[in-house]
Amino acid sequence: MTRALEARGIEKVFRNGEEETQVLKGIDLDLDKGELAALLGASGSGKSTFLSIVGLLLRPTAGALTISGDRVDMLSEAKRAQFRNRRLGFVFQFHHLLPDFTAMENVAFPAAAPAGGISREMRARARDLLTRVGLEDRIDYPATSLSGGQKQRVAIARALMNRPDLIIADEPTGNLDRQAADRVLDLMREVNQEDGATFLICTHDEGVAARCTRRLTLIDGLLASNHSVGEV
Amino acid sequence: MFVFKVARRYLLSNPSQSLLLISGVALGVTVFIFITALIAGLAVRLTDQVTGDSAHISLEPAPRLARVLPGPDLPTEAVPLVSTFQRKQIRDWPVIVELLRSNPAVTAISPQISGSAFLVRSEAVSPVSIIGVEPQGIDAISQITPKVIDGDADLGADGLLIGVRMAEELGLSAGQSVLLRTDRGVERQLTVKGVFRTGLQSLDERVAFLSLQAARPLFTLPEGVTNIEVKLANPGTARATARFLADATGLRATPWQEKNLSLEDALKAQAQTGTLIQVFSLISIIIGVASALVLSAYRRRSEVGIMRAFGVPSSFILWVFLLQGLLIGLSGALIGCASGYGLCVWLQGLTKPDGTSALPIAPEQGGYVAALVLTTLGAVVASILPARSASRLDPLEAIQQ
Repeated sequence: MTRALEARGIEKVFRNGEEETQVLKGIDLDLDKGELAALLGASGSGKSTFLSIVGLLLRPTAGALTISGDRVDMLSEAKRAQFRNRRLGFVFQFHHLLPDFTAMENVAFPAAAPAGGISREMRARARDLLTRVGLEDRIDYPATSLSGGQKQRVAIARALMNRPDLIIADEPTGNLDRQAADRVLDLMREVNQEDGATFLICTHDEGVAARCTRRLTLIDGLLASNHSVGEV
Repeated sequence: MFVFKVARRYLLSNPSQSLLLISGVALGVTVFIFITALIAGLAVRLTDQVTGDSAHISLEPAPRLARVLPGPDLPTEAVPLVSTFQRKQIRDWPVIVELLRSNPAVTAISPQISGSAFLVRSEAVSPVSIIGVEPQGIDAISQITPKVIDGDADLGADGLLIGVRMAEELGLSAGQSVLLRTDRGVERQLTVKGVFRTGLQSLDERVAFLSLQAARPLFTLPEGVTNIEVKLANPGTARATARFLADATGLRATPWQEKNLSLEDALKAQAQTGTLIQVFSLISIIIGVASALVLSAYRRRSEVGIMRAFGVPSSFILWVFLLQGLLIGLSGALIGCASGYGLCVWLQGLTKPDGTSALPIAPEQGGYVAALVLTTLGAVVASILPARSASRLDPLEAIQQ
């Protein structure tokens, strides 16, 4: 079976003049399709860097990265952008919605921008996704008029718009109150279970990790633990 | 088009700032149009003032050159010359006048006999430039008849029209007689039929008109004329028309510009000054648009970053900002053209007590197409830098901020 993610010997060294800092020291990781994985680690452990590399926002210094069977670490910038657009979904700690657009337009944006417009199909899918995240009554609301939790749910709908192979979430509940955070987590679990979407969630929150099916811990640039929640 | 929608949405998201920006562009375009119309109007007025009472093209016989006459009987040591002391004349002038009449660019023609003479009255002697004209064509080049302040403009067989300064100098008035002595040594008693005042010292002090027929014996020219003066519908075409007429007639054709080189230099300097002001207007528009879009791109770093993270092509982001520049430039240019035209028309309507326009402005020559095209292009050029910087933004850096 093709894996959602295969990382082999991922290293990352940041250089600042003569000074070199090795943040990732050779990470090997496999994620199967349909997994809901939590990536834990203290500040400076390298989890955000690893997530950025998996999200093709940063190039590794060494190692190989394969997503859904495609080797992606060697791609050109244009190809990486195209891959991010078609095969990856992103949810960030801050929703990063486009404030001048409605909820529906925000959700449709990743598909509409490369296509040159919002087609009837895109509009229908965006409406379906917003209905699914419980915002059917906010479809044409400006993004600025939504609450923090609603904005994050729009962000999840946006991440799902292009039916990605892998959804990367960086502290998706880090900026929400408990109630809103639970709702967002419920939603991600639901999408994971019903659609078989693969999630890699970077978090500090043990509560979030506890609701995932897999738990990965990074310590000082190395994968220290890697097991399913049931194995603990 | 989605990219257009995004650009428009960005502009409308802060209407007061966009309005201010478009107003700035419109103001620059208004200045551009005002200066262009003013320079054009000034050039027209100056040209009119200079050429109003003079010809646009003067046709004269070509200068004669000394040459060896061919012939087997001539002794080899002799080099006979065609005399250059003969009065140059245009013998076939009726044919040339007919040719000129068929040219649509020509509005008036005046065949003339011009020469130098003295007016003598008792002890007083005054040098004078004589212009012999066809009596019915006295106003062809310069409007003399309306400027006659004493007597009338009917030249008759022995009539003379003189300027007011000369009349004062010699103590002459209409109806009095005066002796004319030409440079050919011919004398004749003539009657002052009228005294004119043009306001031009050179005319009022030193020029006298008489009929072509009266001038013939005085300058010993029984058939020809010395020059043919021509007025054109558009004085600006004088050089080209002069070249054409010289080729067609074999005569020397001198356009008015060659007789007024200092005016031409002044008009050129004036046009260059106008161009400089126009260039500075455009530069200020470009700087204004560029700085506003640089700020806009900076404010929207996180939005652009998230678009880049989603893999939105950098060309899409480039076009979002280029289109903003285009929309600002086009809107500002259109408003500026309208307000510039309105301002010029209003200024043109301001008149002096004598009814003439207080400001020599030509609203129809405001350079509207140039203003529209240059401003729109300038605004697009101004948006290139912020657009490129936005399209190259590192998504990770922008998101982390």
